[in-house]
Amino acid sequence: MTRRFTLTPYLFLVPALALVATFVVYPILAVIFYSFTDFDIITPAEWVGTANYERLIGDPTFWKALTNSAVYLVATPTVIALSVLLAIVVNRRLRGIQIFRALYFVPAVSGSIAIGISWRWLFERNGMLNSILISTGILSEPIQWLTDPDYVLPIAMMLTVWAGVGYYAVIFLAGLQNIPEELYDAARIDGCNRFQKHWHVSLPGLRPQIVFVAVISSLAALKVFDEIYVLTNRTGGVLESGTTIVFYLWRQAFVLSNAGYASAIAIALLLMTLVFSIGLVRVLERGSETT
Amino acid sequence: MTATGVVIPGAGRARARRGLETVAWYVLLALLAVITVFPFLWMFLTSIKGPQDEIFSVPPQFLPGHPTLDNYTAVLDQLPIPRFFLNSVTVGAAVTVLNVTVAALAAYPLAQLRFFGREAIFYLLLATLIVPAQLTYIPSFVMAVNFFHYYDTIGALILPNLASAFNIFLLRQAFRGVPSELIDAARIDGASELRIWWTILLPIIRPSLAAVAIFTFVTSWNDFLWPSLMLHTRDNMTLPVGLVALQGFFSSDFRSIAAGVTMTVVPILIFFIVFQRHFVRGLAGAVKG
Repeated sequence: MTRRFTLTPYLFLVPALALVATFVVYPILAVIFYSFTDFDIITPAEWVGTANYERLIGDPTFWKALTNSAVYLVATPTVIALSVLLAIVVNRRLRGIQIFRALYFVPAVSGSIAIGISWRWLFERNGMLNSILISTGILSEPIQWLTDPDYVLPIAMMLTVWAGVGYYAVIFLAGLQNIPEELYDAARIDGCNRFQKHWHVSLPGLRPQIVFVAVISSLAALKVFDEIYVLTNRTGGVLESGTTIVFYLWRQAFVLSNAGYASAIAIALLLMTLVFSIGLVRVLERGSETT
Repeated sequence: MTATGVVIPGAGRARARRGLETVAWYVLLALLAVITVFPFLWMFLTSIKGPQDEIFSVPPQFLPGHPTLDNYTAVLDQLPIPRFFLNSVTVGAAVTVLNVTVAALAAYPLAQLRFFGREAIFYLLLATLIVPAQLTYIPSFVMAVNFFHYYDTIGALILPNLASAFNIFLLRQAFRGVPSELIDAARIDGASELRIWWTILLPIIRPSLAAVAIFTFVTSWNDFLWPSLMLHTRDNMTLPVGLVALQGFFSSDFRSIAAGVTMTVVPILIFFIVFQRHFVRGLAGAVKG
């Protein structure tokens, strides 16, 4: 069908494009500019060349934040594995299964701040977890979970995984229900037991969902902030143990008023996200060629 | 999963085993439910504990011996929770209606019309999905203060959140599912594109619109970092920002903090229960290749 040129399609797109230009494209360009300046948000930016980037390279906290953010990506395979398992568990006809499915979804809608506060109190020095561990004799002394540099990041990651599993399981559940029953029958005839049939039928069948969840959950992991903010009480944790790249960006820009330096961190975040996304797409594409 | 047409020897024993298996599944499901709900339950139980009830004892005391609503009144005396709630609802409703409208407008030509630059525009929008929003907060902050003049108002939470590449992407998928003969027929009848969009297409993709709307609302409701940068005056705060203020205010009074958290979680839970079917359908529809 050939149509003469009309303005109509563009008119439909104008609001979205204007908003994206104002709140995404312009800010990216502005951040690039600010990253070469000394800037505190209030007074006009002053050009300093590559000083911010030079400082970045020699800043141990930046490298720590970068490492923590990279470590945080471990949450992604964990959440995928657990939510696929959960989807398989709830994909059966049992009375009341809808209620269970709804319950597992609760953390996904409750909001990271409310969840973070709940978890923070569970992990307090005299909180619930220590109380249980001591009264059952597993511990004799309370552990300072949230001020111990070894535990802050893993606890935040656990929180992310815990809140994400129910959410992603819904995606996987929908995927499972789209897999034709005949494939499972065929697998059974071929002698697959109930575990093998999931390995040989469910997992390949869930491929599009796994790709989707891998992308969105790892992008979310790269920009984690709320959990760290609440769990470490805005400090980033002892010895920056919980400081992620976005947390460091926030602190430099909005606590320490180093918006120029923070912009350089933002550019590092952007590059990290781009490299990671391109790498991820490559890996996932290579995987899909073989299937 | 029924094995039709297959006669199984020893059906009685098989049935007994299946019964046992069902019980095992329920045990597992219940265990998982406890893991999921426990922090909230603990929060709620703490929020109704009186001053005589232990909240830090070893072993832990689960049930309140002297249940009370005092903690709730203490929080409501100190912080304008209803006001936070109203602000969150206002922002959520405005963002949802406008964002979904903008997305539905943009998604239609991307899905069903042919025009110069379509692919380029689509991939530009898709690329913005990758950009972390936090990256834009410094320039957005400057704009909020110097250009839009909406610092410390809820307008600052609405305008920057009106375009979502994700929603455009999802609605584009939905529009692509509409048979183009339907649109062509309407065109032959002389309907304008805007009329086709409004009277024919939007009703057809209503389930997708509902799903996208609900997700937009929940995302807006739970958004924290940007609102925390923009909102300063207590009366302008949304619930998550107010919750952090509350945590600072009641620093070690855990009973009151628990009451505050409970008050913010319950409304969104009710919202979720009411719209549960749409949540599931929306998430399910998100990934179809």
